[in-house]
Amino acid sequence: MTPMTSRQQKVLATLCVAVVAFLNMGSQRQSSRTRPAPAPVDYSKFSHSTKKHQAACDTCHKIPTPRWQQTSTYPDIKDYPGHDACVSCHRTQFFKGARPVICSVCHVKTSPRDEARLPFRNPGVKLEFTIEFTHDRHQDVIALLNFRGSRASLTAILGAQASPPPASFPATLELDTGRRGRLRSQDSDLAAHARRRSDDKLPTYNNCEICHSQRAVPPPPAAGWADGFQPKPETFKSIPSGHDSCFNCHWKSQQPVATNCAGCHKLAPSTFTSVTAPTRISLKFMHEGGGAKQNHVADCASCHINITKSASVRGLKPDVPITACSECHAKTGVREDLNQELAAIDKNKAFVCTYCHTSNVGSLDPPASHYLITQRPPLQRKDIK
Amino acid sequence: MESVPPRGSGWVRSLVYRLVCKLRIHPLPRGGTDCFQVRLLMLMLSVLFLTQLGNSQTQPTGVLRLKVKLKIGESTKSLARKRFYLLKGTLEQNKAVIDAAEQNPYISRDCFYSKLGASQQLIDWLKAGDCESVYCREIEEEFVNGPKAVPEFVTAYAAGEREFGQSNIGRKWLTNNLPPPLRDGFYRDRRNALDALLKQAEMVSGVHPLSTMTDRNGTAYFTDLEPGSYVLTSLLPIEVGESLDTWNCKVQIKPGDIATETPYQVSNKENRLVKCVAVEKPIPVCQK
Repeated sequence: MTPMTSRQQKVLATLCVAVVAFLNMGSQRQSSRTRPAPAPVDYSKFSHSTKKHQAACDTCHKIPTPRWQQTSTYPDIKDYPGHDACVSCHRTQFFKGARPVICSVCHVKTSPRDEARLPFRNPGVKLEFTIEFTHDRHQDVIALLNFRGSRASLTAILGAQASPPPASFPATLELDTGRRGRLRSQDSDLAAHARRRSDDKLPTYNNCEICHSQRAVPPPPAAGWADGFQPKPETFKSIPSGHDSCFNCHWKSQQPVATNCAGCHKLAPSTFTSVTAPTRISLKFMHEGGGAKQNHVADCASCHINITKSASVRGLKPDVPITACSECHAKTGVREDLNQELAAIDKNKAFVCTYCHTSNVGSLDPPASHYLITQRPPLQRKDIK
Repeated sequence: MESVPPRGSGWVRSLVYRLVCKLRIHPLPRGGTDCFQVRLLMLMLSVLFLTQLGNSQTQPTGVLRLKVKLKIGESTKSLARKRFYLLKGTLEQNKAVIDAAEQNPYISRDCFYSKLGASQQLIDWLKAGDCESVYCREIEEEFVNGPKAVPEFVTAYAAGEREFGQSNIGRKWLTNNLPPPLRDGFYRDRRNALDALLKQAEMVSGVHPLSTMTDRNGTAYFTDLEPGSYVLTSLLPIEVGESLDTWNCKVQIKPGDIATETPYQVSNKENRLVKCVAVEKPIPVCQK
């Protein structure tokens, strides 16, 4: 076989390129022919993840909602954007037929005679945004409960109308909150006075309670409360659910301000449903409990030991170690609730711990920490004879 | 030479595997291709991965329980609601961070707000609650109206009332109408200094420093700590009575140390139980 000349090689190369280009074009044409037609858009569902719906928030949402006084006790975003927000792009859908489907995003009825709108936000629609919240920064700016001051400043804080402190009140005092959040002083009369005064009018410090106060019992999990145990409202603490907790400081000038929605609300990768039923390990624990003395009413960080280190609320867990309980509930000769239940498991491996837990938790193996704190070797039920 | 399955046998080689072989291999002298090294490499990687996984699962972590008690005059009290930081590494490794923190000029809260021209009433209001910013206490009615009114609050309240048309919102949302430096300038200044130091600490150790805040009893926890050397620090000084206290102490975390019984005692005065003693300095005189 004679070798090809350079001209022949060039021709062959050009031919090859042409063939590859032709084949490629053909396959592209074929793929465009076989590409499925785009799914029809469901205009009854609005999504913020649609590219064209990602303009600045105040393009559509007016902050605050006009005439907010009629729907809210504070300036808030309590209603859907006006018609202009939709018509600017969706004129065709807006005037399509007698009952345009696009109206059902906001309106209860698709009728020109009925203005009634669905609640804002609509609980029937899945959530699209997650919340960014710097938990640690907010804890940093809240109060220092250790109060140090003079007689004059205490009177100033307790209020002019408050009864004067007793004569034994020292000129300079050391008044702080004790181990369980109770006022304590070197002078018992003074402490008693401060306690009595605190019942009348306690200066309101912005502590954890500004966001986490007692709440109503949340709806039970889908399967109902374990053992049919009905928890009391004293068990639960609330979490902020509206803008009022934020706008009191972040309405304007302190970023993220009310108009900077993206400062707190981040579009999630997919829609989700918020979990309303709480997951509790010790369902029988009550925040406002602890007997007549309400020993559970303490500084939140005393038990929730990891709370102050959390920079955000993502993955935030209550994290209460057994040491928070054992201080009172595993005290030899005083209260031995924990010790007694562990001893009962030693005798009967089917024993269910019920002092703190419902049976779904109380029938499991107690964690090693429970044994360690009561100075017992960790055991598993299967190893008990 | 790699064996090739007979046509029609239904045996198809993994595309990924073939790709890996093609990427790596060089022709052997006898003309075949050697995928053995790739297999060996993959095997070694798998072993390494499993070893690491095993380590991460079994490595016990430690806990550091702080107890911060201060001696002021004759009395001892717990240091509440103060943030402490844990930097990875030894004191020597973190020397640059500690030095930078010490170089930071300190200005007391009273001095800071006084320099900004804050009224004496506002300075007293902040001092009475030991507050770094106006956010730490609710601004009660008596500080807006009447003899104890704070001038800055009165102005902001009036602006809020005009804006919202409701007196209760005007008061509850009062901070929105305060000038930013008077609102939280002192806190923000400290925060900026802390952020810069924390960033520097992260660059030194490659790990973001941990932080925790003491509760009312001066107790705080660092949990899930990898065993090793750390520096417990307040980074910036804390006002204690008439002095400024700064803590920088070495801490050794041992595996499985749950520290339930032996808190790490922190104080401003030496004591046989105290493991971390503050360096005390007088509060600098306010230069107006």
